[in-house]
Amino acid sequence: MANKIYFEDINIGDSMPAFTSDPITRTHLVRYAGASGDFNPLHYDETFVAMFGMQRVIAQGMFIMGITSNAITQWIDNKYLRNFKVRFSGMTEPADLTDFENTKGRATITIKGEVVKKYTEGRENCIQCDIQAVDALGSVKLTGSFIAALPSK
Amino acid sequence: MADKTKLGMEFPTYTFEVEKGKIAEFALAISQKEDKNQLNPVYVDREAAKKSGYNDIIAPPTFQTCFPFWAAGGLLPIIQILGIDLIRLLHGEEEYFYYATIHPGDIMTGKSKVVEMYQKEKKDKPGKFMDFTVIETEISNQRGELVIKTRSTLVER
Repeated sequence: MANKIYFEDINIGDSMPAFTSDPITRTHLVRYAGASGDFNPLHYDETFVAMFGMQRVIAQGMFIMGITSNAITQWIDNKYLRNFKVRFSGMTEPADLTDFENTKGRATITIKGEVVKKYTEGRENCIQCDIQAVDALGSVKLTGSFIAALPSK
Repeated sequence: MADKTKLGMEFPTYTFEVEKGKIAEFALAISQKEDKNQLNPVYVDREAAKKSGYNDIIAPPTFQTCFPFWAAGGLLPIIQILGIDLIRLLHGEEEYFYYATIHPGDIMTGKSKVVEMYQKEKKDKPGKFMDFTVIETEISNQRGELVIKTRSTLVER
């Protein structure tokens, strides 16, 4: 659960506490498919993706956005969120259990963020934080931002 | 290529009843956890949610992504009506505007509309274009309160 954070405590240039996912496996993709109801076989059926010349299934973009949301709500309570947007830029292949040590890097996602704006809109004191999700090899999965209206002291 | 005459088109509304178990299942999936006790308690424990200032358990920020899949057959019917080429399709962007919280028992109604259709020239291939379709959905609860607005950008590359 997020700690109590006040508008006055946050400054432009502050970093969001970094967050790193567990290495994504096919099991995580199946679990997300079931939870979301998005049963596109692109995300769990290797024989389906083989028809398109792909070696592996790829993670749902919305799963990566979901992981990103966890990074945000570990820092800022859900009730303060006003806007959350992402642009998907790279696909994520899951780790292979047959070669886990060598493949977990591409499937381990770190979320970073930086506060870029502080402003007052109506009666709300808002921050905008730009965010990025990157795997352990440096490949960018998504970029985006969120806006939160924070309590004042 | 998406049929540009479909700009402004509205889709039939859907309704989705929010269940406590579905919230927990979704929270487990995005948290990569197997046990509810490992989750942020606001997603599974009513008392903990109350202590955090909510009336009841709340849903994670991307939970609404499951509404159309369970209530309206997902994106496929929309893609087909719009004439979008599935082979070229990418999910380009997703954006949420939050106005109120979602709790178990809420009956959500979603109304989607095509709000933008445009082309952009490919940077690496001058003369070749990508097609963008933006679908906006207003999601309200059983009291008629607007809870979330979503904007999904579909790209045909």
